[in-house]
Amino acid sequence: MAAVQVSEAEKVYIMHGVRDDLRLDGRGCEDYRHMEIETDVVSNTDGSAKISLGHTDVLVGVKAEIGKPRAMVPDEGYLEFFVDCSANATPEFEGRGGEELGVELSNTLYKVFNNRHSVDLRSLCICPGENCWVLYVDVLLLQCDGNLFDAISIAIKAALFNTRIPKVHISEDEEGVKEIELSDDPYDCMRLNVENVPCIVTLCKVGHRHVVDATLQEKACSVASLLISVTHRGTVTCVRKMGGGSLDPESIFEMTEAGKRVGKALHAPLMELLQKEESLGKKRQKVGFLG
Amino acid sequence: MRDTPLSNCERRFLLKAIEEKKRLDGRQTYDYRNIKITFGTDYGCCIVELGRTRVLCQVSCELVPPKDSRPTEGIMFFNLELSPMASPAFEPNRQSELLVMLNRQLERCLRNSKCIDTESLCVVSGEKVWQIRVDVHVLNHDGNLMDAASIAAISALSHFRRPDVAIQGRDITVFSPEERDPIPLSIYHMPICVSFAFFLQGSYLLVDPCEQEERVKDGLLVIAMNKHREICSIQSSGGIMLLKDQVLRCSKIASVKVSEITELINKALENDKKIRKEGGKFGFAESMPKERITTLKREEAPVEMADVKETANEIVNRTETPTEVVSSPVLVAMGTAQVGEGIVNSWGLDEDEEDEPQTEDTKTDDVMVISDSEEEEVVILNEEAQKSTKLSKRK
Amino acid sequence: MAGLELLSDQGYRLDGRKATELRKVQARTSVFAQADGSAYLEQGNTKALAVVYGPHETRGSRSKSLHDRAVINCQFSMATFSTAERKRRPHGDRKSSEMSLHLKQTFEAAVLTELYPRSQIDIYVKILQADGGNYSACVNAATLALVDAGIPMRDYVCACTAGFVEDTPLADLCHAEESGGGTSLALALLPRSGNIALLQMDARLHQDHLDALIEAAMTACKGLSKVLDDVVRQHLEEVSVLTRD
Repeated sequence: MAAVQVSEAEKVYIMHGVRDDLRLDGRGCEDYRHMEIETDVVSNTDGSAKISLGHTDVLVGVKAEIGKPRAMVPDEGYLEFFVDCSANATPEFEGRGGEELGVELSNTLYKVFNNRHSVDLRSLCICPGENCWVLYVDVLLLQCDGNLFDAISIAIKAALFNTRIPKVHISEDEEGVKEIELSDDPYDCMRLNVENVPCIVTLCKVGHRHVVDATLQEKACSVASLLISVTHRGTVTCVRKMGGGSLDPESIFEMTEAGKRVGKALHAPLMELLQKEESLGKKRQKVGFLG
Repeated sequence: MRDTPLSNCERRFLLKAIEEKKRLDGRQTYDYRNIKITFGTDYGCCIVELGRTRVLCQVSCELVPPKDSRPTEGIMFFNLELSPMASPAFEPNRQSELLVMLNRQLERCLRNSKCIDTESLCVVSGEKVWQIRVDVHVLNHDGNLMDAASIAAISALSHFRRPDVAIQGRDITVFSPEERDPIPLSIYHMPICVSFAFFLQGSYLLVDPCEQEERVKDGLLVIAMNKHREICSIQSSGGIMLLKDQVLRCSKIASVKVSEITELINKALENDKKIRKEGGKFGFAESMPKERITTLKREEAPVEMADVKETANEIVNRTETPTEVVSSPVLVAMGTAQVGEGIVNSWGLDEDEEDEPQTEDTKTDDVMVISDSEEEEVVILNEEAQKSTKLSKRK
Repeated sequence: MAGLELLSDQGYRLDGRKATELRKVQARTSVFAQADGSAYLEQGNTKALAVVYGPHETRGSRSKSLHDRAVINCQFSMATFSTAERKRRPHGDRKSSEMSLHLKQTFEAAVLTELYPRSQIDIYVKILQADGGNYSACVNAATLALVDAGIPMRDYVCACTAGFVEDTPLADLCHAEESGGGTSLALALLPRSGNIALLQMDARLHQDHLDALIEAAMTACKGLSKVLDDVVRQHLEEVSVLTRD
């Protein structure tokens, strides 16, 4: 991440504030920053979403291609993740500098999203054992101000909601060779069910309390953080501990509970917003970065 | 290994010379160095010498499945390598800016201009096509690698012959060169790059810069054209500001140069074809000149002889007589070495030396040559000076 | 591609424009708060994002810094979803390296680097959607980002592409026109002095048409410079209103 130099005095100040449930920008410990989401920003893709969470900017594009399903699960499609930490975020990401972080992020995303409980992978199958849809989810990090995982997961959920996969007709030739035809109608498409797609909540341990949606400065004060992916029902699908410090088992329990609460509260407004955006339909003015 | 940097002194000298429209090797602003194109024994191998810049190009082919987006076209692959033998600045396996630029320019010049008919390279549509691979190696770097590389590439492509193929149903038979004559590639036109180097904020330009001129240049403009006066690619680089008329002027110069060079390439190809047909020897070994000295002739250089006598006399009068006078001074010509002959051993005979009378005056006026050298010519120079020494002694 | 008429008989192109019409240009500066300067530019369907960091101390090896000028470091990359076919590597391949090199040279000529010796200016450009004219969109976005960062330049650097079909020069090519196999010329211009910072042309063109083609590209660039100027002035107005009271 973009390096932020925080002095010892600033660290103590932040920790004392968190102890009293008061953060640098006046939020509570479990409050998110101002979030802006927009879908269908890039027209070349099958689905896209742009999110800005405070100063963190993430752009996600989903492209659907036909490929061969995995040998072990022939009746399911799959998702491929690629996180591009672009040099826009910080000069350290120039060239191959951002690769390490990118690989770490994409591996975590694999674990969280690429299973049949989160996304209905069966609906991505065309011909069991032969053809299936492969969704290439490309995440582009434009600006980095802490809390990447949360922003990326929300953006992925929005992008998957926005994804329109063209419907396929399979026709058999005389010789038994299957031909796949994509329908040319741009409105004849399949939508994904994103009800069960989880959202990631990152809780950073600052002092003795935990903080949701940490900025870079708060991150610099914490030694350990817990990453929880929560579905809209409050089920925890994946837990991961990050950072070099240690966590008390009790605090882990506390943080998980808090994470569940926060995560659950995220989903409802998000889905509402996405539905509203969709209902605006064609008349919606696409703002993108021009806003 | 890092390159030796150019000193400020050299830089100023070069720029000053360019201002006065002079170049280091005496060329004019729009002159190319001598271009020499030789072909190897294999088809598709070519060395181009542009002055001292040497570039080797090899063309090879292979049957491969085609690209998905273009199932009926062959594939052209270009690769340029800066070999470390070319210049101390080139390190192996390092992607420098120069390498990227040269590779891209070569690709753009030859691939985007569609000089080769790629459709004729298709054998079985969607399954097998010819992949033509052009490898350019820089052997010696003395400036203007781009031009040399493009000339080498297009000559090699024109020289190359691919094996003949026969298709029967689904079977493909590739004939070896002994079974059937290989077929040349169908080349529509020959794009050749001409480089213009700009100096002093674009006020002066030179064609075909040599290595030192390249170091002081501000920027480069490369125009690839063919002899039909079609521009195949233009690329300006180096952060110079150009004006539209400069670009147009350069394109006119380029068209003239390109037609000259194309003729040269065609002539070289013809020669090679002729030699191969007649069964004569061809290849790189034959093309290198045999550097054996058969005659040695030195040019006459005029020497100012007006007051030689006076100056010689002066020198003679000024100098002291040597302590030791040898009967016949032997002056050896160039290229001979004499060990232990002629002069008396003067080691460890200090007392005797002074006493030695000067009896060794030349008894005769003839000069005795004491030498066993096999060289027939032992030129005794300065006979007059010799005689004047004798005169002075006699005085 | 055979069958696609790049210029119809009535003089209309594939997307309905006339021969010398530019696509709609929309731009915005100061998109990101963290960078020193940033800009987002849309030229038709091509979307480019440029970010400038600097001038700052030379990162990495000290030997790269020049004693009398600033070093300009550029990186050009395309998002993997920017093209119709998914791109596997955003940057690092030959084409991107070449583009980065060209951008660097273009801006080295335009930025007053003598004012910042021993320092480095980073320009990062990203293409979010590629629909022809990638290089020109990058240059225009980078110009705006440099202006936003407050780095002094000799003039706006405007870039535009031009093509040639049936004796008519076309300005501002889209992707279909570029890949159609006709000529395409990319030109970066400093409008006030008429100096060409970069000239790049692919595909065959007869020498006699070169003049008309360059002229068409230069006119297009001059038109673009007005648009860029308007964007900068508008942004300044907005900011001054906010900071006035």
